This record gives sequence, C-alpha cells and structure tokens, in this order.
Amino acid sequence: MEYILEVFLDDYRLSKIKGSPVESNIEAVFGGELKVLRVKVGEEVKNEILKAFETARIDSRACITDTPVAFKRALFEEIAKQKSLGEEVVKAVLARIDEIKELAAKESEYLPPPDIETE
Amino acid sequence: MSELYFKRPMPHGGKLVERVITDKKVAKKFLESCKRTKCPVYDIKPTLHYKRGVPVRNVYREIMSVCYGFFSPVEGSMTSAELESVLSKRRLLSGWVFPYPILFDISKEDYKALGVSEGDRLIIRLKGKPFAILDIEEIYEIDPEELANRTFGSPETNPEVVREKFDDKHPGWVIYRSHNPIILAGKYTIINEPIFKPPFDRFWLPPRKCREVMEQKGWRTAIAHQTRNVPHVGHEFLMKNAAYTGDVEPCHGILVNAIIGVKRRGDYPDEAILEAHEAVHKAGYIKPERHMVTFTLWDMRYGNPLESLLHGIIRQNMGCTHHMFGRDHAAVGEYYDKFATQILWLKGIPSYGFDKPVNEVEGGLLIRPQNMREFWYCPVCKEMAYSENCNHTKEKEKLSGSLIRGLVAEGVQPPVVIMRPEVFKVVVKWWKKFGYPFVNEKYVQWKEEELEVDLPDLD
Repeated sequence: MEYILEVFLDDYRLSKIKGSPVESNIEAVFGGELKVLRVKVGEEVKNEILKAFETARIDSRACITDTPVAFKRALFEEIAKQKSLGEEVVKAVLARIDEIKELAAKESEYLPPPDIETE
Repeated sequence: MSELYFKRPMPHGGKLVERVITDKKVAKKFLESCKRTKCPVYDIKPTLHYKRGVPVRNVYREIMSVCYGFFSPVEGSMTSAELESVLSKRRLLSGWVFPYPILFDISKEDYKALGVSEGDRLIIRLKGKPFAILDIEEIYEIDPEELANRTFGSPETNPEVVREKFDDKHPGWVIYRSHNPIILAGKYTIINEPIFKPPFDRFWLPPRKCREVMEQKGWRTAIAHQTRNVPHVGHEFLMKNAAYTGDVEPCHGILVNAIIGVKRRGDYPDEAILEAHEAVHKAGYIKPERHMVTFTLWDMRYGNPLESLLHGIIRQNMGCTHHMFGRDHAAVGEYYDKFATQILWLKGIPSYGFDKPVNEVEGGLLIRPQNMREFWYCPVCKEMAYSENCNHTKEKEKLSGSLIRGLVAEGVQPPVVIMRPEVFKVVVKWWKKFGYPFVNEKYVQWKEEELEVDLPDLD
C-alpha cells in the first residue's frame, strides 16, 4: 500500500522549485488557491516515520500527518535539492533524523516565524 | 411595523449586577476602614493542575466577570445551597438559569492561616495590590472530584448528549478537579479597578457600556459570535450568514466576544485572537460599523451545551438579541454529541434540567439562538458554501483547524480562501513576540505572571 506525505507550497516554496521537473507534479486544492506536492512512500518508510515520531499518524486518506514541523521543512528542503518526489527524498530526510528530532524536541518551545512584514 | 421589531432583551435576572467602586476616594476610605477593623488579606493564587502543577485558572477573571455584570445575576462565590441548586437543576436559588459553579476556593492551609469565619470581610489582593473584597456569608468544604463530575455529568446521568466519561484530558473537568477544598461564599466587590494592558484595553466593553455603544450605533438587533480562535474564512462566513437573521432586516450588528483566559495547548494566544478578529473589519471583510470585537474574562470549561448557556447569559447581558451556535460549540474531544448545544436550544436536555428549549423554561434566556451547520469550500460552486445548501458533498473541501494549524506552524501563508492575509499577519505578529504561534506551556506560565491587567496603587 502507498502512503502520502503532503507538502504545502507558498510563493517562497514555489520559487524554490520553479523550472524543476517537480513543478509539473503540483496539485491545486481550494479552487487552485493552495498548492500541494504529494510524496508517496511504501510500508517500510511509513513505518520508519511512525517509529521516529510518536505524534505521527495515518489519516483516512492514507496521508501521514502530525509529523513535526522540522520534518516537513526538511522534506521540502530535500525535494527542492533533489528535484524529485521519489521515496529517496524521504530516505534523505530520515538520514538526518537525529538533527530533526533535536529540532522537533525544541518545537514545543520555539518555532521560527515566517519572514513577513507585520506592521 | 414596529410591532415586528425585536427589543433588546433585559439583562438575565432583570438587572445588571455592578459591584465595582469606581470613585477612588470612596475606594480608599473603604480600604482604610477595612484595615482599621483588621480585615484579613488574601493574595490570589492561580489554580494549578491537580496533577501537573501548571496554571489552569485564575479566580480574578471570575471576580471581574461577576462584578462587571457579565454573569448577572450572579453576585459572588456561591453558597452551598446555591451550588447544589446549580449542580442539580442548573438554576440559581432565585430560579434563574445558570450552568456552572462560581466559587472562591482556598486551601486548608490558607484557611487555617487566614482564621476567617462567616461574617468576616476578606480583602483580596491581586499582584500584591488590593483588588476586591469578599463578604463571607458561608464557609464550607467540597470534594473537588465530585464537583468536577457533577458539573459536567456523565454518559449515564446525561445520556442525551454526553458520549464519554469526563477525565483529565478535559480542560474544564480539570479546572473543577483542581479547585481547593474550602469555599468562601459571599458577594464580591471590586475596590480597585484593574487597568487593562494593550491590546486588551481596546476591546474591554463591560455589559452596561456595551449596551450604551449598541444604542449609539443604532443596533436594534445584534448577533453574538463566540470565539476562542483566530478567524478563518469559514468563521467569517458563519458571522456574515448568521447575521442575515434579525427581525424585519438582517441583524444590525455582529458582536464578537472572545473568551480570554487559560486555554488549551494549540489554541492561539489571546492577543492574536482579539487583533485577528479586529483585522476582519479593519480590512473591510465586514464593515466596522457592523462588527465589534470585545471579550469576557473566563477560563474556558469547554462544556459544549453548558458553555452555550453561559455564552447566552453573557451576550444577553451585553445586549445581544441573537446568538449564533455552530457544530461542536465550545467543545473539545468527543465528550459530547456534536450538536449538543443545538439540541439544548431547540429541544432541551431534561437531564440537565431543561425539559424544554432554554428560551421556554422559567428563568430561561431571552436571547435567540441562530443554530448553524457548517461552511466548506466548494470547488464546483467556487465559493464558501453552506452545508445545507451545497450538494457537492463529494467535492467539498473542509477548512479544518488542524489543516490551518499545520500550514501556520510550517510558516506557509494560508491562501486567501482559507485565511485572510491580514489575519495571518496578526498571527505572525504575535508569533514573533512569543516565539510560537500557539498556546504552549511557556505562554501559559508567562500569561499567569503577567495577566491581562495591572492594578493601580490604592494604599
């Protein structure tokens, strides 16, 4: 069975993958207003993710949700770096698991805000 | 035509409770007289989680809401007879509907140290300064676990709407479970008016003042919107559409009334909630003439139908003619039926003391319910659609809180059909201040130290 990791895209993220082969895989929801990439993984990788993060779960759409933000950010970084949506990007993220777990532990204390003008 | 107009309802109980000494000279004399007679002094302490020790409530918020009339006709901490009446019938001894125990609780150690007895006057200090007095009519002991269980009920005692046994995952149950065992019952009087800090100062509108502002604005009809959240577009559509009710024309005003106090982890900070709602009218999504943001101090009990009763009381006291209620009103987890609030207001819940709808029982409310289902985004209609209108149920895209929280946490700006950019900017503004977009343990601790107010010198 295949499981899905959704990666939502804003303008900044879109600019990072512009012109890459990944761009053609962008799906649109909410009337085209929200762009999303879907990374498909198999049973083994899914189990690794669930084992790594106790909050992670599978929802009714077979999506892996409630993973730490650090994991989702790292996933996008790897997609942008490897220009791919293959399972290898998730494996590359899992190779950084110690770093991600350390960041995830700090997530309940601090999350970096987006760099947008607020005044 | 005028016979078709709705009138602003009277305050619950007939008149607004106002127990605040506003004249500083009078307040000072009052305090001096208390000191001459050696009134005991008690410094308010936060209620701490009975297991984890983190703040879950501060009784100062209840004293404020009682004394400024939000909870009219309640005038203070309930006596044992009143408590029993509320728990068994959801009625005050006077017969007026009221859902929750309102209690001034202290520990056995503090009781011993204070040495107070019935008939004494207690000076209550907040942040080290005189704040209020409590004229003690009765002192009695409670079992906090029994109090918590009886406050919310159970699937056995309230089978119409309660689905799961309440436990320590329910924040409201935890608040009552964490009460101290000694109750000092009696009327409160605020003798030193707290000063609200920004941004709270802009949104503080106690019932009498709120009624005056509604008159000035020419709002014959006003519909209340309960919130503990920053508004996404679904909330905005709920407000706009629910307001189409009214009398001979849609409601003149939408009164947003946020509940400010200790909240769940994952909720948004209070400061962001208020300013985000303000952003809705500042950015013109609803005209500011028609939309007003206010708040009530209360550590939410998340009691779904019971909470809706309190909400109805507060907003009737503030002068609203209508109150919108959605799915899962003021709820957390799966403890209640999703539509428990609507069942209460449409049919009644006999096990909670309502064999008829809330507006039809003796001592009930005058504010009218506007029970709404839900809004979703429909890609076929290409608009935010009402679930009872739109038949594209397969294509619908729901705006779930977890979807939006997931986007926000990642720093991904939600699209305009989900959250207005001006609202998101407010979220980020407070995120930058607190280093976190949502309520976390650190925010709760900080909030407990700071509170929403400071107190002027009175001594």
